Amino acid sequence: MDPLLVTQTLNVLYEVVTLAVIVLGLAIVFGFLGVMNLAHGEFIALGAYIAYVCQSHGLPYLTAVPAAIAACTLLAWPVERFLIRPLYARPFDTLLATWGLSLFMRKGIEIVFGGGYKSLNIPLPGSVAVLGAHFPTYRVLLMLLSTALITALLIWYRRSYAGARVKAMVGNRELAQAVGIRTDRLARNTFIVGICFAGLAGVMIAPLTSVQPYMGLDYVLRSFFVLVVGGPGSPLGLLSGAAAIGGVESAVSALIDRTAGYSTVLLIAIFFLWRRPYGIFGRA
Amino acid sequence: MGSLAARSVAFLLLLLALPFALGEYWAFQLGLFYLYAIAALGVALCWGQAGFLSLGQALFVGLAAYLSGHALIDWGESIWVVALLPLAALASGALAFLLGLTIFRGRSESGPYFAIITLAISLLAFQVANSWNEVTGGYNGMKGIPGLPGLEGFSDVYYVAAVALAGAVALCGWLIQSPLGTLWRAISLNERRVASFGYDTALLKAVAFGVSGVLAGVAGALYAPQQGLVTPELVGFALSADLVIWVAVGGRRRVLGPVLGAVLIGILSAELRERTYYWELIVAAIFVFVVLYAPGGLAALLAPLERLLPARPRTRPSLPAPPARLAPATVSLDIDGVSATAGDVRILDQLSLAILRPAIYCLIGPNGAGKTSTFNMLTGELRAQAGRVRLNDAILHKRAPYRLARRGVGRKFQIPSVFGELTIAENLHIAVWSGRSSLFDWLRPALSRWDTPVLAALRQRYPFLLESSRIAAELSHGERQLLELAMALITEPRLLLLDEPCAGLSAEETAQVMDVIRWARNELGMTVVIIEHDMAVVKELADHVFVLHQGRLLAEGDVATIRTDPRVHEVYVGATE
Amino acid sequence: MSVAAFEFADVTGGYGSSVVVRGVSGMVGPGEALCVLGRNGVGKSTLLRLLHGFLPLVAGAVRCGGRDLAGLGSADRTALGVSFAPQERCVFDDLTVRENLTLMQTGRPLAQLEAYFARFPRLAERLGQHAGTLSGGERKLLSLVRVLAEERPVALMDEPAEGVQPENVRHMAALITQRKAAGAAFVIVEQNLELVEAIADRYLVLDQGRPVQAGDRSTLRRAELVAHLRV
Repeated sequence: MDPLLVTQTLNVLYEVVTLAVIVLGLAIVFGFLGVMNLAHGEFIALGAYIAYVCQSHGLPYLTAVPAAIAACTLLAWPVERFLIRPLYARPFDTLLATWGLSLFMRKGIEIVFGGGYKSLNIPLPGSVAVLGAHFPTYRVLLMLLSTALITALLIWYRRSYAGARVKAMVGNRELAQAVGIRTDRLARNTFIVGICFAGLAGVMIAPLTSVQPYMGLDYVLRSFFVLVVGGPGSPLGLLSGAAAIGGVESAVSALIDRTAGYSTVLLIAIFFLWRRPYGIFGRA
Repeated sequence: MGSLAARSVAFLLLLLALPFALGEYWAFQLGLFYLYAIAALGVALCWGQAGFLSLGQALFVGLAAYLSGHALIDWGESIWVVALLPLAALASGALAFLLGLTIFRGRSESGPYFAIITLAISLLAFQVANSWNEVTGGYNGMKGIPGLPGLEGFSDVYYVAAVALAGAVALCGWLIQSPLGTLWRAISLNERRVASFGYDTALLKAVAFGVSGVLAGVAGALYAPQQGLVTPELVGFALSADLVIWVAVGGRRRVLGPVLGAVLIGILSAELRERTYYWELIVAAIFVFVVLYAPGGLAALLAPLERLLPARPRTRPSLPAPPARLAPATVSLDIDGVSATAGDVRILDQLSLAILRPAIYCLIGPNGAGKTSTFNMLTGELRAQAGRVRLNDAILHKRAPYRLARRGVGRKFQIPSVFGELTIAENLHIAVWSGRSSLFDWLRPALSRWDTPVLAALRQRYPFLLESSRIAAELSHGERQLLELAMALITEPRLLLLDEPCAGLSAEETAQVMDVIRWARNELGMTVVIIEHDMAVVKELADHVFVLHQGRLLAEGDVATIRTDPRVHEVYVGATE
Repeated sequence: MSVAAFEFADVTGGYGSSVVVRGVSGMVGPGEALCVLGRNGVGKSTLLRLLHGFLPLVAGAVRCGGRDLAGLGSADRTALGVSFAPQERCVFDDLTVRENLTLMQTGRPLAQLEAYFARFPRLAERLGQHAGTLSGGERKLLSLVRVLAEERPVALMDEPAEGVQPENVRHMAALITQRKAAGAAFVIVEQNLELVEAIADRYLVLDQGRPVQAGDRSTLRRAELVAHLRV
């Protein structure tokens, strides 16, 4: 096989799969709970900074995972209680409140860590041979991990009792309460899980991006666009949205330039927001 | 109106006097934030009045700035260039209006999706401004823009900005008080209800957006000569975000709110941003607090001050309203084989029924029979997949609800939906104006004095309707039902659809409602169709009864015939007897 | 003198500011069934929703096993032993039949539901199907089996026989009678007089949100009930 073709394909696949992992947290929070969490990107940034802190203290990279999960859980609990829960009936105000939260978090990060770029060492340096082409080891690991994570989540959603209860709550909240599901608690836990996934994504991608206080903005916008195009609330929507947005952007960026790539994504997003906000696979 | 002019002049004088107190340096700083305040006023007009928020408003500021910059660079010598600057502002306004109209026509509600669309559009504009080097100067921006001809020094620039701001404040104050303002506020409360009165809500919102675009354009057009430099940041997310925060914290409902927000918070941010990071943290926290607990913002704290300058409630003589566009006429309604589905469920199944003379008709049937769905189909909220509806021999096409309302179909919804935060008078006005006025009328304050014979008669029957400044949400449930019924009657529809008008009413209130319905048929010659479960009401009122079951007409006739019809019996009681 | 399994006194309430149900009282002991009848729109469903905590009470009280349920939400009342089956949207459309039945019974295998499947073989055939694809009557059967399988001391059901074929209505009556024999109490809103006559120990007729007739089995006269139900 032509090594260049393999590399290009791997690049596109890498973009799509990592995009899916980045969106995962918001897919849970927006797709299941209908919460437009504009602070999603900041929780990813939080995960990235925690990874930085762990690495700069000489700890093995994996320690960042429980650290990020702990930090996200600690933060998500009061956020859900004081910001999200009072505003469930007011989706517009949720948008604004979470946006205010993102401003707050961004500034907080800037105060603690300073405004500059932090770069992390790649935990698994070097490259590995794939079908005749050389591809960075860490990226391959990320792709495998992301695929495993998404697959695990899908299986959990389809097969487990907890997944069924979330489905029940989302589809018919009153009946869910009637059969004894404590929907308040379930919604809170679902939110916390979504935030933790955002933090986890941050830990995963930190070595490969420029870690700076404003990194979150890009991620949250992309995540929204993926969900709007693919359709929130279904795993198929997440994957198709990631494929569409990630695929189009990397393709156009390769053919023309980054600006054109991003602009194309914006145009697609605008169209879907205007005409079909429930996306390809969502329900009207 | 008089007090608005007085307050505007007082405000202008205050602004003009400030430089003497603060000195030239501060005057220049303030001048910039006055421009931002003008843009913020636009955001507040859309958000606080009409209920939708633009997260990309900087697009219109930047567009006008680039246009104005171009004009000044190319023709800055001659004094006539000043005439081009308003054109730049109008260009922004036109773009905003067209964008708004396109988006609002394509979507049924605004809410968060509109906000994100405007955000995405402004991001796109940023990409364009950043890379289109020939036109915008790209990343480095448009440099060397001369100042406005004839102006020297910092003070002159300040005065221009001050006059512009005072003008913008006066404009917004006037719009808010006008009938247009009332309609905007009604849309923010219940857009569907406003459309059911025949108002083109998409157009009304687009007008608000267009005005906000003009205001943002004024800010941009004056920004270019004042700062001498226009960069893509002016179109970017940061300014749009700041505008929203200033409006939220300052207060989006009152005219001075955005001014306070932009000037106070803006200036403080500019000064304190360097000194301490904590300032921006504090602003973010205040913003979240305002969203959660204090939507009125800082301006709400000034409410007690407003009592010092009360608007004198002059009771002016009422004006007779022009006649309704549709002359009252007897109505004939023919529903022929109409079917409608929602997903897998058959809501209407080849429904056929006809109404030929003015009378009171009752639509009854068990749950899920399709009664409310029939109403929804007649007012355009449910699209039929098959069949035809003729209203007075003209076929009702798949039309938007507001267009169908203009054909003379009036409706009272199942859940009382008066505009809770508006006064009784404003609620009644909205009904009076429908079908009798159009866009330019809504700028005339005289409309608040319109009166019609039907309105006068209803006020006589129900004296509580005379309590003009009482907020509708404070009314009892029964009074709200009556107000809503009154609003439906005032539009003098040919066909009046009432969905459970007696729901939740006491026996006395039910008697009052039945009285009014009879009056409507006898005195106004209206054809009334009522959905009711209360069989006592049906027996009292109905000239003719339609029984629906599973989306089709099961039986019809007068009350006696229906009572003895075995098919009706079966549906209500069960197969075996 | 046993404590009533479920009782409610002077229940008044509705949606928002509108009062739909006014001053309705009733009670049911263990092993008994109370049927609530009346035409559409009289407030039967609203009454049930008030009893299960979906709507706040304006006045009155609701007790289960002697314990006042004031302030408890729907999920809490279920936990205390009161099952609920709504009239509309009575199953989880997005879950399979199997998941609908086992959602909360993590420990209990489907085998225990054999008795129900014997009477309603159609449900057993459709275990892997999404409940949203079932017909209206089948959904009602699924809803009933779910409630009965919960085996709680009290069950509130809103028109369980709506859209159900007569032979299945007979099965439903038999199953409810079995649960009554095991000590369960039922409050059932129903317009199907077959079912009412088969299982009701007490009855209550509503009109315009108010109680207009009440009694027990001995005074149950079909002709009178019909008079209240017809147009």
